Amino acid sequence: MSGRHTGELHSHTVEGTDPQLYVQVHEPQNDAGLRPVLLLHGFSSSSKLNWEDTGWLGALLEAGRRVITVDLPGHGRSGAPEDMDSYSPSRIRADLLQIVFDAGVRPLRDGDPSSGLDVIGYSLGSRLAWEFGATQHELVHRLVLGGPNVADPLADFDLIAAQRYLADGTPIADESTAGLLKMAMLLPSNNIFALLSLIEAIKTEPYDPAEAVPHMPMLLVAGEKDDRAASMPELAALGAKAGGMVEQLVLPGRNHTNAITSRAFKQGAISFLGV
Amino acid sequence: MAEISFPLPDLGEGLIEATVLEWLVSPGEQVERNQPLVEVETTKSAVELPSPQAGKVVRTYGGPGDKINVGEPLIVFEVPDNTAGIVGTVPKEEAPKRRVRLSAVLDED
Repeated sequence: MSGRHTGELHSHTVEGTDPQLYVQVHEPQNDAGLRPVLLLHGFSSSSKLNWEDTGWLGALLEAGRRVITVDLPGHGRSGAPEDMDSYSPSRIRADLLQIVFDAGVRPLRDGDPSSGLDVIGYSLGSRLAWEFGATQHELVHRLVLGGPNVADPLADFDLIAAQRYLADGTPIADESTAGLLKMAMLLPSNNIFALLSLIEAIKTEPYDPAEAVPHMPMLLVAGEKDDRAASMPELAALGAKAGGMVEQLVLPGRNHTNAITSRAFKQGAISFLGV
Repeated sequence: MAEISFPLPDLGEGLIEATVLEWLVSPGEQVERNQPLVEVETTKSAVELPSPQAGKVVRTYGGPGDKINVGEPLIVFEVPDNTAGIVGTVPKEEAPKRRVRLSAVLDED
């Protein structure tokens, strides 16, 4: 891996409590002089799994981009707070805002390509990026949203069935719930109860992309075999209606799990954010 | 010139195989160490494997959709003779000189 990085357990108090988020700022060897890129990973993943092992971090550093990675609460090397509020999307967005300011990100200024921030999200990370972009238009320059949802599979998650399954193995009837839990349990590093807290918190703030729409240019990306590819035009229409420029990229043969490593995805994102 | 073969590395606990998604290099190509070689998918995630070696690609194993077991050949490089021994073990014709005792030796104490 090229580039230096600094790692820290983020410990800036936001709204009175420490979010315990693990943040890394990765410096490129040859800085292209452009604004930093914030990477937001998906549910049950981590910055390492979603962005490092998949080659994203290396590709962005190679392109001269400064990269900020954050593990979501209960994921990767971040802490797993007890209180449900730490997992609410609005709280996470507030934490992200503090993190990027601490990393030196400054509001967009005309004619200064190093000002502002680009954001790349995947799946749940795309939901957070969509909302972050919609609320932080003075900060966010462009968005790349991979595997983006229009509906909210986490808000529809059957928590009671999941808890019953974890307690005594009672099979889960709902297919989406069973699939998400299976995915969460595949990785021994996951704190399953923290992930369920995240789902519980998301249920109190379900995703509604029409509620707040980002105005900045957006690139939407999904695998051809990901159901989300079919609903991308809906998101694109919302963005266009809000006055934003929206591009879409469908990756042939890829699904929601394996679209992430795609070279076409990385190259598409790097060139979209390279202006 | 010598050839060095690299097997599919251990990709984490319990994973015994991976499916090739896409090769990022092709035979005849000169690659640098750590350059992305191939995207593979396991039952847990998709990963991009960096090159463990600088050299010219001689052969790659498996196309998109093919499964490769951990430990089976993934890629073969051609490297100058004098560098081959540094990073990998190059199989030689001669018999190994070192002997390992496989029978149990009871502890004295």
